[in-house]
Amino acid sequence: MATISHFLLLFVGAALINNILLTRFIGLCSFFGISNSMNTAFGMSAAVIFVMMMASTTTWLVWKFLLFPLNLGEFLYIPAFILIIAALVQFVEMYLRKYSPALYRAMGIYLPLITTNCAVLAAATEVAKPGFFKMAMAYNYTLGEALVYALGVSVGYGFALLTFTALRERLDIAPVPRVLKGNPMSFITAGLLSLAYVGLAGWFGL
Amino acid sequence: MKEWLRVFRAGLSIDNPLTVLMIGLCATLAVSSQVEGSLFMGIAVIFVLVMSNALISVLRKLIPSQVRIPIFIVIIASFVTVVDLFLKAFFPPIYAVLGIWIPLIVVNCIILGRAEAFAYHNKVWLSVADGLGMGVGFSLVLVGLAFIREFFGAGKIELLGATILKMPTGYAPPTILMMFPGAFILFGFVVAFVRWLNERSTDRKVA
Repeated sequence: MATISHFLLLFVGAALINNILLTRFIGLCSFFGISNSMNTAFGMSAAVIFVMMMASTTTWLVWKFLLFPLNLGEFLYIPAFILIIAALVQFVEMYLRKYSPALYRAMGIYLPLITTNCAVLAAATEVAKPGFFKMAMAYNYTLGEALVYALGVSVGYGFALLTFTALRERLDIAPVPRVLKGNPMSFITAGLLSLAYVGLAGWFGL
Repeated sequence: MKEWLRVFRAGLSIDNPLTVLMIGLCATLAVSSQVEGSLFMGIAVIFVLVMSNALISVLRKLIPSQVRIPIFIVIIASFVTVVDLFLKAFFPPIYAVLGIWIPLIVVNCIILGRAEAFAYHNKVWLSVADGLGMGVGFSLVLVGLAFIREFFGAGKIELLGATILKMPTGYAPPTILMMFPGAFILFGFVVAFVRWLNERSTDRKVA
């Protein structure tokens, strides 16, 4: 039982308490870029969940069995991890296009964008190279924990993105001062949304 | 006006990556709680941007367009590693503050965006000017934002261990400015202000 609650805490901590978008500021380009319609936001969230799980598993394995034993990690981790993500995204895209056209239509166009989504790189690096987010809280993830953590981060990403998109769709028809219309108003809304997450800070989780 | 000067100035004003193009936001909002960290972040981004723009521009005829994105990323990642190790070795306190934002420069959209949109199609000197303009434009907004946040949010500005500016005693700083929500809200108003300025100057030209 202890393990189940441990995994649950890990998941909630990654998804809500340390929400990657609103309390860590990671992945904001896509947050503001694609949050103008519910359909695109949904496709992007699905794609991020999918890629983040795969990327975290791969970087964890590469760090554990390749970079760390060979003592290459300290200066090769940035190029290695970003290349892993870029290659992975490319393969996923090719595979989906050939074997699952329906899924490809749903999230295909978001896949190339994910390569430069810092949320994926950040989560994949955190699980593989402990202490990436905060040196003082270095924590060695097991493969199972890495998977749960990546799931939590990406679900938190999707949750925040969908909430924000819903708010923005409402804002489009709201009477807003002319200079604030569009982007400035989105930032202020994001600020208020992030205020809600600040209330959760420091509860538990890594 | 000379071509490279025009390219350089575009990055500062009409194509400013932060207030106009809205790219590279993650690092800006996170790092801008301190002037010191922002300065170093700005320098790091300028270095990576100029070097990667220059190298990609030199190699632009050799890079096949089908695999250009992975090649750009590898080039950018190498320069980011240089900055990462350099700061870790010579400025450990700064490195501790900036932390993950240095490795994350790799996926900063400004750098890949300029490689794709500018350096891949232009001469080396123009690409360097573009990198410099974009980098300086980014840093100016970043440091300006950090100045407002630290000065009003913490009541003082510290640079390399010394307090260089201080609010009069009795000033109760609104801590919200230093926190995440404050960054979003302040940035929203800064963008609105820049837009208002731009609109005003075009109005005047029309009139």
